[in-house]
Amino acid sequence: MTDVHVVGVGMTRFGKHPDSDATDLGAAALLEAVADAGIDPRIIEAAYVGHVFQGMVTGQRILAQVGLAGLPLANVENACSSGATAIREASLAIRAGENDVVVAIGTEHLTTRFSGALTPDPSDPEAAVGATMPGVYAMRATRYMEEYGMTREQLALIPVKNKANAAANPLAHFRKEITVADVLESRPIADPLRLHDCSPITDGAAAVIVMSDTAAKKYANGRGVRLAASTLRSGSVDVEPTSMTYEPLTWATAKEAYEKSGIGPDEVDFAEVHDCFSIAEVLRVEGLGLFEQGSYPWAVERGEANIDGRLPINPSGGLLGKGHPLGGTGVAQVVELVRQLRGEAGDRQIEGVRVGLAHCRGGKAVGIEGAACTVQILIR
Amino acid sequence: MTTTVIGESFRPGELEVRSDGTGNLLGSKCRSCGAHFFPIRQACAGCLGQDLETVKFSTEGTLYTYTIVRQSTPAFEVPYALGYVDFPEGVRIMGQIVGVEFDEIAIGMPMTLVLEPFGKDEDGNALTGYRFRPAEADND
Ligand SMILES: [Zn+2]
Repeated sequence: MTDVHVVGVGMTRFGKHPDSDATDLGAAALLEAVADAGIDPRIIEAAYVGHVFQGMVTGQRILAQVGLAGLPLANVENACSSGATAIREASLAIRAGENDVVVAIGTEHLTTRFSGALTPDPSDPEAAVGATMPGVYAMRATRYMEEYGMTREQLALIPVKNKANAAANPLAHFRKEITVADVLESRPIADPLRLHDCSPITDGAAAVIVMSDTAAKKYANGRGVRLAASTLRSGSVDVEPTSMTYEPLTWATAKEAYEKSGIGPDEVDFAEVHDCFSIAEVLRVEGLGLFEQGSYPWAVERGEANIDGRLPINPSGGLLGKGHPLGGTGVAQVVELVRQLRGEAGDRQIEGVRVGLAHCRGGKAVGIEGAACTVQILIR
Repeated sequence: MTTTVIGESFRPGELEVRSDGTGNLLGSKCRSCGAHFFPIRQACAGCLGQDLETVKFSTEGTLYTYTIVRQSTPAFEVPYALGYVDFPEGVRIMGQIVGVEFDEIAIGMPMTLVLEPFGKDEDGNALTGYRFRPAEADND
């Protein structure tokens, strides 16, 4: 079976884009990925396009805008994991031998769809009693603080770190460093979480071109990065109440990726994880087995997750700093991994990295731990 | 004590409201393995059995965790307390918390289900929903 190689990457600036829509952004990301790969776009054989609130056939609109209409194409919705799921679909098409060159795009124009707190689908029993996404994560933070003694100040160090990374990322939504005091004085959203603990409402898109061994040999010019695993799981129904400070769904998805890639958590050099909220970064990295359960806030305090630390987490700025255009998020994580692994990450470059991991997790439905979770492992 | 029923259940599949003003949250119990689920399911996630019965859950539970929501959708007036309560049947259910100052809410508090007005239907009739309140405060 062929390996999968990421050969071209593209990404728009993340932020507010009042003069364009999800189609424009997706098309711009796609054209940049094509240029980055240095290929004739006519060799692309299929497309998968992740988005959440952009309506029907956004993927077809994107391809029509760049003259590529006619390809097999599927639009993919999997909440905040939509873009990452599109990459997985693209990688499966390659591994199955069906295609040699496939593009995965993730896009979202969220500022025109939402303001304030995102909520689960209105049909959900928890949405009906007032659940918001920040509210759900705030409850997990309350519980984590009770169980492990994490302080509010420790939690604030996560947005401080991620926004410092974002300040070094020209494509990030936020370009300004903040302090712990800024976090603690920002507007309360759902106790204990405040505005700086929450990822922003962001517009943006990203695209990656993946290839088989055969195509990569022909086109990659040594710039390909191997996508060693791309795993996806959906949340299982709780048969009895389980801990909300641990993520079996994240671990199950990661474990499969570790097995498929032959890479253990101790071999991961850096990671982009789904920090939709500050507390989420804690839960993710512990769920992934990158840090021990109950230890991450102290590791952050020691600087271990900084760009120059032992295991940098969210060097791009993460969702908190770079922004979170739902469908675009998972693809942008892989763009960051590729740029870091190629040594093209500029002021936020991590030295000497070989293995990167990306993790997305999204959606909420009553009675399940989480809706959709993805893990991708890239090796240079 | 007689209670006037406020209105129909806001979500009859999840909350039974009876004419005497009492009510229960509803879910499924697996007749094969005994697991309970909220809301009602069509098959058991434990054993995949399809022999499920609809059951009424206890009205007393324990607060697992909580938050004070200060930004929400237009459907909800902020701030409000929101929590997860663990019930003895082995289900964890989310609801708003009332009858207690925000700064007195604590993990582990015993909680009681209460029925309260909860929005209106399309014709403007008041609906009945549920909230949780600390059990020791529920003696009026
Ligand atoms: Zn069963």
